[in-house]
Amino acid sequence: MRAANRGDAAAYRRLLQAITPALRAVVRGRGNNMTHETCEDILQDVLLAIHTRRHTWHEDAPLRPWLYAIARHKVVDAFRARGRRVELSIDEFAGALAVECGPDPMQGRDMEKVLDALEPRAAEIVRAFGLYGETTAETARRLDMSEGAVRVALHRALKSIAQLRERMIE
Amino acid sequence: MKTDDLIAVLAADTLPQATVAQRMMRSLPLAIGVSLMLFVLFWGLRPDLTAALTSPVAGKTLVPSGLVIVAGALAFALSHPGQRWQRRFWLTGLFIALLVAGFALALARDGLTGLAAALGTPALLTCLASIPALALPLLAAVLWALSAGAALQPRLTGAAGGLMAGGLAAAIYSLYCDQDAALFSLPAYSAAILMVALAGGLAGPRLLKW
Repeated sequence: MRAANRGDAAAYRRLLQAITPALRAVVRGRGNNMTHETCEDILQDVLLAIHTRRHTWHEDAPLRPWLYAIARHKVVDAFRARGRRVELSIDEFAGALAVECGPDPMQGRDMEKVLDALEPRAAEIVRAFGLYGETTAETARRLDMSEGAVRVALHRALKSIAQLRERMIE
Repeated sequence: MKTDDLIAVLAADTLPQATVAQRMMRSLPLAIGVSLMLFVLFWGLRPDLTAALTSPVAGKTLVPSGLVIVAGALAFALSHPGQRWQRRFWLTGLFIALLVAGFALALARDGLTGLAAALGTPALLTCLASIPALALPLLAAVLWALSAGAALQPRLTGAAGGLMAGGLAAAIYSLYCDQDAALFSLPAYSAAILMVALAGGLAGPRLLKW
C-alpha cells in the first residue's frame, strides 16, 4: 500500500488482488440470500471505496485496521441501501435459481449501468483499462490524447463512478 | 464488469489524491480571509483592543482558539479510520467541562441577578447572530476539507468540524465584542459556538458521505 500510494501501479494491483478473496468471503457471508452478482457489486463498492479513500491511511499506521474499518463501513452501507431496493424479496423467489445459472460468479452488474451513465469518453477509458487491458500509452494513442490527459480522465472517471454508484443505488 | 477488471482499472489510476490536511491548508486560509474581510467591513476592531488583549479579557480570544485546536484534532482523527480518536474526544469534553465549571464559578459569585444583568443587553443578540455568520465560510471550508477523509461517524465528525469553525469565528468576533463580563461571554459565546457545531452535525451525514 505504501508503494501504491507513491504511484506503483503493479504493487497496488497485487495488493488489491490479495485482499479481494477475503473481502469477497465477508460480503458473501453476510448476504447469504443474495445473488453472487449482487455480492460482487458490493465487493466492487468496497474496492472503489478503498481506492478513493486510500490517502486516509497513514503510512506508519498498520494497514489491517484501516482496511477493515473502510470495508465494514462500506459493506454495512451497501447492504442497507440494497435492502431498501427490495432486492431481497426478489432474491427470495429467484435466489436459488439465480445462483446456479448466474453468468460468472466474479461478475458484477452495477458497473455497466454506471458506465452507461458516464460521459462516453470517460467510460471508454475505464473500459480500455478494465476490459481490453490496455496500458496508458496504448489508450492515449487510440483515443488521440496525451498520456497525462488519459491519467487525469481516468482519475476523474473513477471519482464520478464512486459518486454515481452511491446515487444510483439509492 | 468483472471484479478483476475493476482492479486493473483502479491500479491504473496512480494520480495522488488531496488529503484532508492538504485541503485544509488550501481552504482554511481562504475562508479565514473572507471572514476577516467581512469582520472588518461590518464589525471592526474594538477601540481599546490593545488594553483588552493585555488583560485577562484576552481569554475571550484565547479560549475559543484553544477549542479550535482541540476540536480540529478530533475532527482530523475522526476522518482517518484506524486512528484513535477517543482520547481527543474526551479532551474536547474536558475542555467543555472546564468552561461549564468556569461558568458555574462565576454564577456562584454573582448569582442569578448578576447573570440577568450581564445578559440583559442588546449585545447578546449581536453575539448570537455574529458568530454563526462569521463561522459560515469557515464551516464550509472545514467540511469541504473533511469530506476528503473517510468519516465513519459523519454526524460526530461534522459536529467537531462545527466546533472548530465556531471557535475560530468566536475568536474573531471577540476582537469586536466589548462585553467583558464572564457571565456574558461564557454563556453567549458557548451558545453561539454550539449553534455552529449543531449545523456541522446536521450537515455531516450528507456532506461527509463516501
